Amino acid sequence: MYNKKIRGPLVEGNKTLGQITKEVMKPLEISPGVWWPIAFGISSAAAIYGFYAIYITVTQGIGTWGVNNSVGWGWEIINFVWWIGIGHAGTAFSIFLLILRQKWRTSINRSAEAMTVFAVISAALLPALHMGRVWLVFYIFPYPNTRGPLWVNFNSPLFWDFTAITAYLLISASFWYLGMLPDLATIRDKTTSKVKKAVYGFFSLGWTGSSRHWIRYESLSFILGGIAAVLVVSVHSIVSTDFAVSVEAGWHSTLFPPFFVVGAIFSGFAMVMTLMVLIRKLYHLTDYITDNHMDAIARILVFISLIMGTAYLTELFVAWYSGNEYEIFTFFRNRATGEYTLQFWGMIICNALIPQLFWFKKVRRNWIWLLIVSLFINIGMWLERFNIVVTSLNKDYLPSNWVSYSPTHIDIGVFLGTIGMFACGVLLFMRYIPMMAISELKSVVHIGNKKED
Amino acid sequence: MDRIFKIGVFDEEEKFLSSIKSLQEQNFLIYDVFTPYPIHEVFHLLKRKSRLPTAAYFFGLFGIISTLAFLYYTSVLNWPVVYGGKPFNSFPSFIVVTIILTILTVTIASLALFSYRSKLFPGRENTIFDPRATDDKFVIVVETGAMDITSIEKAGKLMNELGAVEIIEKEFGKVNA
Repeated sequence: MYNKKIRGPLVEGNKTLGQITKEVMKPLEISPGVWWPIAFGISSAAAIYGFYAIYITVTQGIGTWGVNNSVGWGWEIINFVWWIGIGHAGTAFSIFLLILRQKWRTSINRSAEAMTVFAVISAALLPALHMGRVWLVFYIFPYPNTRGPLWVNFNSPLFWDFTAITAYLLISASFWYLGMLPDLATIRDKTTSKVKKAVYGFFSLGWTGSSRHWIRYESLSFILGGIAAVLVVSVHSIVSTDFAVSVEAGWHSTLFPPFFVVGAIFSGFAMVMTLMVLIRKLYHLTDYITDNHMDAIARILVFISLIMGTAYLTELFVAWYSGNEYEIFTFFRNRATGEYTLQFWGMIICNALIPQLFWFKKVRRNWIWLLIVSLFINIGMWLERFNIVVTSLNKDYLPSNWVSYSPTHIDIGVFLGTIGMFACGVLLFMRYIPMMAISELKSVVHIGNKKED
Repeated sequence: MDRIFKIGVFDEEEKFLSSIKSLQEQNFLIYDVFTPYPIHEVFHLLKRKSRLPTAAYFFGLFGIISTLAFLYYTSVLNWPVVYGGKPFNSFPSFIVVTIILTILTVTIASLALFSYRSKLFPGRENTIFDPRATDDKFVIVVETGAMDITSIEKAGKLMNELGAVEIIEKEFGKVNA
């Protein structure tokens, strides 16, 4: 059970129910200040650059990218795995913590889920582009066609991946929307603007908060939560099989599925932390997203960081212990001491060492430190994917195939574009949708605040 | 004919709950209650149950069977292709797709059933007895159709005594709920 003496109240400041509604709705009603249009302008510019890069890719082909015959997967796959990893935060937050009855999730889950939806959209774009002829993307759907009918290969991890990500996007979006219904109804009933009343009324689907609605709502949340908990584990496991099934040194490993899942939750939580630190400062929501919340995320991060460190060591150990010369070459020559040393040691430092700062309470309670460390983790996780994708491919079994890899400005443009789209999405979310689940906050507001608890 | 409802608005959860109990003890017909967040005691008192979990179980069963049947049909019957020397019915590698499509089926079907049973869909306008119920008030709605005037008064009085901040009487031509 929740021990308030140790963990403090979930919502500080002895709020009344009316106060919660008012304060969470405030960012929707007042103009957010000059930073919002500036941030939105920068994000849109990045997104537009991304659209330009995508236009070049589609019209001229993926020859405009830095990929070549040996390194057939470049930045797009790195970024795809990176975004999908970030997209695990939402489900990890809302679903794992829902099932484990961790009530501190209430102030964070809405934003984490929003982030998930935008990150998965960014991610899904990249493999589609990587197909080259993106207009034939529908070939991957198993539908009765005139080519045989030639069905897709159901044994292929690439098809599993497609299924997993499509399902993940649909399910996390529906879970997000379901959680929003009571809050959209709250806005509908509170707002004075006629336009808002009509729009939020339309999207609130006629929610009234009756006991009949609530019992089905709760029951559905637990069904979706329980069943989607599998997805938290399965989606990134499946992404890892894209690599692990192929016979490449550095990829062909049974460690990959758990390693990828943990890595995904790691990067997702880090991204949640980055955004939460900024949101609670910009919107003055420190009563809701308390220091204890940030502390809890930091503790999870330090724990996962240890797992990541162990996984890196295990990979090195197994490569050496297997006695396989290609494995040894890939890990000890190509990664740890070769051309991509910077990426390898950057990954170790950012993911396994820097998060150890979270052992100190002072670091866990200081928002600047939290921001810095979480940014380092985001970078470290990107470097990890770079290591996995590029260093296994650029020097494989045949030395005549050895090449270097560097991205072109189109690769970079596509990446910046996805960041821009993600940021635009998050900014619009902050402006038009309540950032925290108002109804859930109301049900936990008494925890730790009343004398008898 | 217009339906008339006696509506009690409460500030506090405890008073609201004890009001429900008293109203039930005196055999008043509670039409429904409206709260800003789910309260489990309300579900017990009003004997609300949801059969969604049972339905979800069958959706899952349907998802598993139909996915496996589809994979078997495409890979064994309709157009068998040997991939990597594996048997046509390579069951273990069908499991991944089966799990995911089962989850997807359960999600979409349960959402659809939820939307149908709760009558929640885009643009739907359900009757709002008191708009403050989605903000910070707890609302009890008593159906007065079969009651005489004295017992209607009694219901209002009872809720007032138990701490309602406001008692309203409203008429609705048609109730959407």
